[in-house]
Amino acid sequence: MKKIILSLLSIALFHSMVSAQNFVKDNFTKVDTTIAMRDGIKLYTVIYIPKDESQRYPFLMERTPYSAGPYGANNYPRSLGPNDNLLKEKYIFVYQDVRGRYMSEGTNLEVTPYIPNRKTKKDVDESSDTYDTVDWLLKNIKNNNGRVGLAGISYPGFYATACLPGAHPAIKAVSPQAPVTDEFVGDDANHNGAFFLLDNFSFMNFFDMERNGPVKDYAKPVFSAGSKDAYQFYLKMATIKNTNGAKYYNNKSVIWNEYLQHDTYDAYWKARNIRTALKNINTPVLVVGGWFDAEDLFGALHTYEAIEKQSPNNNNRLVMGPWTHGAWAGGDWTKFATHEFGSNTSKYFQDSLETTFFNFYLKDKGNFTAAEATVFETGSNQWKSYSSWPPKNSRAVDYYFNDANKLSLQKTNNKNSFDEYLSDPAKPVPYTNGTFGRRNNEYMAEDQRFAALRPDVVVFETEELTEDLTLSGRINADLYVSITGTDADFIVKLIDVLPDTAATPKGSPRGFSMAGFQRLVRAEVMRGKFRNIYSAGPGGEKPEAFIPNKISEVKFDLNDVAHTFKKGHKIMVQVQSSWFPLVDRNPQQFMRIPDAEEKDFQKVTIRIYHDTEHASKIVLPVLK
Amino acid sequence: MKKYFLLILLFSLIVIKLSAQNADSMWVRENYYKTERMITMRDGINLFTAFYIPKDSSVKHPIIFNRTPYTCQPYGEDKFNTRLYESYWINYLKEGYIIAIQDVRGKWMSEGEYVDVRPFNPNKKGKEIDEASDTYDAIDWMINNIPGNNKRVGVFGISYPGFYSTMAALSNHPALKAVSPQAPVTDWFIGDDFHHGGALMIMDAFNFYSGFGKPRPKPTMVGSPGFNIPSQDNYDFFLRTGALKNFSKIMGDSIAFWNDLMNHPNYDEWWKARNPRNFVTNVKPAMLEVGGLFDAEDCFGAWNLYKAIEEKSKHTDNRLVMGPWFHGGWGGRSDGSYLGNVRFGSKTSEYYQKNIEIPFFNFYLKLKGTVHDIAEANIFFSGQNEWKTFTQWPPENVEYKNLYAKWDGRLSFQNGANLFKPEDRPKRPQSFSEYISDPAHPVPYTEDVHLGRTREYMTDDQRFASRRPDVLTFGTDILYDDVTLAGPVVADLMVSLSTTDADFVVKLIDVFPDDFKYDEKEMGKGNGNSYPMGGYQMLVRGEIFRGKFRNSFEKPEPFVPGKITEVKYTLPDVAHTFKKGHKIMIQIQSSWFPIADRNPQIFTDIYHCSDSDFQKSTIRVYHDVVNRTRFILPILNK
Repeated sequence: MKKIILSLLSIALFHSMVSAQNFVKDNFTKVDTTIAMRDGIKLYTVIYIPKDESQRYPFLMERTPYSAGPYGANNYPRSLGPNDNLLKEKYIFVYQDVRGRYMSEGTNLEVTPYIPNRKTKKDVDESSDTYDTVDWLLKNIKNNNGRVGLAGISYPGFYATACLPGAHPAIKAVSPQAPVTDEFVGDDANHNGAFFLLDNFSFMNFFDMERNGPVKDYAKPVFSAGSKDAYQFYLKMATIKNTNGAKYYNNKSVIWNEYLQHDTYDAYWKARNIRTALKNINTPVLVVGGWFDAEDLFGALHTYEAIEKQSPNNNNRLVMGPWTHGAWAGGDWTKFATHEFGSNTSKYFQDSLETTFFNFYLKDKGNFTAAEATVFETGSNQWKSYSSWPPKNSRAVDYYFNDANKLSLQKTNNKNSFDEYLSDPAKPVPYTNGTFGRRNNEYMAEDQRFAALRPDVVVFETEELTEDLTLSGRINADLYVSITGTDADFIVKLIDVLPDTAATPKGSPRGFSMAGFQRLVRAEVMRGKFRNIYSAGPGGEKPEAFIPNKISEVKFDLNDVAHTFKKGHKIMVQVQSSWFPLVDRNPQQFMRIPDAEEKDFQKVTIRIYHDTEHASKIVLPVLK
Repeated sequence: MKKYFLLILLFSLIVIKLSAQNADSMWVRENYYKTERMITMRDGINLFTAFYIPKDSSVKHPIIFNRTPYTCQPYGEDKFNTRLYESYWINYLKEGYIIAIQDVRGKWMSEGEYVDVRPFNPNKKGKEIDEASDTYDAIDWMINNIPGNNKRVGVFGISYPGFYSTMAALSNHPALKAVSPQAPVTDWFIGDDFHHGGALMIMDAFNFYSGFGKPRPKPTMVGSPGFNIPSQDNYDFFLRTGALKNFSKIMGDSIAFWNDLMNHPNYDEWWKARNPRNFVTNVKPAMLEVGGLFDAEDCFGAWNLYKAIEEKSKHTDNRLVMGPWFHGGWGGRSDGSYLGNVRFGSKTSEYYQKNIEIPFFNFYLKLKGTVHDIAEANIFFSGQNEWKTFTQWPPENVEYKNLYAKWDGRLSFQNGANLFKPEDRPKRPQSFSEYISDPAHPVPYTEDVHLGRTREYMTDDQRFASRRPDVLTFGTDILYDDVTLAGPVVADLMVSLSTTDADFVVKLIDVFPDDFKYDEKEMGKGNGNSYPMGGYQMLVRGEIFRGKFRNSFEKPEPFVPGKITEVKYTLPDVAHTFKKGHKIMIQIQSSWFPIADRNPQIFTDIYHCSDSDFQKSTIRVYHDVVNRTRFILPILNK
């Protein structure tokens, strides 16, 4: 009986699929074609043209490394475009396989470097490929209104950003969403030089697969291996070097080898920081990101910031919602982990921001009145609009680490005061509680009590807040540390400690309570040897060994937040030196980590100082 | 639609269950009546006793007697205990047993003064009483005053009532024919409930005594609630409260047994008087000790009461049953097909009730059937998931083998010392693993935040602990053949401390294969949760030992900082098969919080020390050829 009902249910689902698919088929003509770039390389492009010819339409394009399929004139996808409003609104939807991926010719480069002064037709990048594609579309697809928009999430977000420098004048609206932006400093591959092992090891296996010329589908992943227990799996793998072992990459992935080769912020990575190219941008931009995006939160915030700083007159806007990677494109997002937002935040974004943005700039339809920054404030669970981001009335407030695990507005008067822990690479601090095969998508909002009760995690906490405290903007961690070795990682976590009266969400497991829940608000890692990565001037990016037992400052940014710590809550900071297997282990000696052998990994004792001279602190963007 | 259907399904299941119970409840009402009596003891004190008596007077009925400090509620002759028809007890009623439940002296509606684990007095004179004499007097009264009884009495009880069952067995009343102490409270210093290996089981002790221990000035039908912990997080509450003297402040001064706990830090005469094992000589009734392999409270008591009777009362008709149960799981609280994430493949509780307990009492009290099929030892082996029977426990064909900890984190049956000539051994370098045990960050006993002590922790996945820097793990290679353990496990640790005291927790763990999955058809749905069982680290047996008691529980001794010292202790018995393809793992740690209180790690009176006394200790566990940490495993030969 239950089975019958389930099959009824699946028939109903199937019906809605069919009808959606029919909508695309009924209303659009599909054209599969290749478009020649200036260097002769042909990019495979799939175009859906509204059948209704009573009006002219703008193009809305996504350039992707993840396939422009389904391929073939008779194969239609379930849906088109960034959201269903836009599908119904009708655009000429364009999907293109980027150079070197799937059905396109040429060679794919990891986050294709931008070429500032292209000289010959052989000098191609994503900007020129987009330019050439747009040029062809305008000339060859009838019934177009002469305008083009681009949107994309994650890697396609990068391709959206990459069209901006030297953009074709017909490009009138671009929305980079969770755009891959700087893979050494903050996105995907590395955060502040620390390698994001868990995500990348499994990602690249299904990304950088063997391809001999254009394919509709890659034959097989680079290797087949996996585990239900990632912590154990990567601990057993022991070294980064071993990822290239016979069972795994075995030197078959070009990009993996590049990652391992480029372990510093060298020319390879700098060429792949698209931010440097975002000068003189002259195209309306809507940057979108998610506060719980484990992959490209940095990219959204910093793409917006780079355009703002380097193209101050550009029409540039930011939307930040309480989303995981790409969740804004889904159906319902009223809750996440233990958060309950009180409204469907994705629908709000799609209806009131994304649809109006493209309609206005590409169709002159309606108004686009969104503020400079539209951000969802967690904690208070409301949308906020600001004329700048961070808001003008946000100011940096120092919260000092004190003795007895206190976090305080006052510096201590102590002379020699510190907390210390032993960081043992054989027993790294887990990034999540429990056993997971893949990344626990909820880790960015997870209860941190599992970490607080470890001896290798130090905790600082305020008293209960007597009134609401809202943070809006970037966070800075400023630590004074000493280590007995020559390198170490530092992870700083900002945590909202809920009071004993906190309500427990419906449907929670038996015995579960939100009382005392230590909810992660923001966290970031800094690979200690890169502590000067932010300092101005050449050489800042060079790794620097620590002198054992000498006090050093380690100062780095945590990504922005918009969060209210409610009255009665407490602000907590946790500091630790591993975050495994999200981040690879630091051998805790200054060396090229991709070359490290198992024996190179050593225990070190780490001190976090909080005395008058060495007042470790976290700087919070407090909204007045 | 789907939801609606499921609701209907659920509803109809509830209806089916309820109507079965309704039918049983009506049957009991139609066939039984209840009387409540005050029974006068030899010293004039009256004990409140409820009797459920069959209306059928055509035959004589045996009596099953349960003595309890937890009340014989509901009070009132028109009110029936739901246990009579909601649990397997219904089987006893269908067999026509008279059920007697008594409030023990000083509890609930009985008069007199309550004394926790009241010492047995082997030389009672005149009007002197103990729990054995109270049982004697009660039995004597009931066989002479309850109409239609056959003058054959059996006693059973779980947990504290298990202790009263042991005491009943010592009453020597001739009408008492059969006794089943189940999870019997037996030795509260060495292994049951409130201390294990001399370490205070703070969470259970505090939670239990803050209510149970309150004075009861006169008989009452109302119990005393325990302390309402102002938190949902036991780890946080017990850590924040700190040293034991802070718990004493919360307790106040009126809870007599708490004060006793605080004032008897060592295994003194006071404790020994409260160890029934010292008195189980000349036990006359047939005995059936029952316990759970995974009983968080009185696993020790079940194994060791059986052993004590075997040793001290050799002629006693004495049997043992151990199943894969939590505390009282066999007695109607679960069907015994799983505990936590671990499944046992059959309804072990029903098996026990039907094939062991009911036939046992039927034979001795009704002279019905046979006990031929009930072996001396009836033991369920987890891992293998089957019942095995033995003519003695531990079984005859057990061989004790040393499993050595190795420098590389491995466990091996190979004795590394044999590799070197004895005269060369001292020249070998020392080899040890070390950790810092920090009382400010004790190792949690379980993974998730919660308030009440879980019963599932006894089979929990220990991966959360493996990941900590203050937990040492040693593991065998993948087993190429089944390894079955049957009996006690001995931890023989060679350690040094940077301070003068520390606790040691040794955990025996079954590491499941990486691709392990339960077959639902064969093993049932368990607790219904999907849990990653591949690589599961199942706790098979864990036990704590307070280091200062290593040479004597009576006379604790400090450690000399830095000096290599042997700490050897016995974990409660194990009945488990490590299957081929699995691994044996041992974890060593120095805290197990908050089930056990924290050791300040300096040699002191822990019950009265201050928060400032707690300090970090660096602990080394040696595994070189001279100082060989080993675990002695009781391996059952095929």
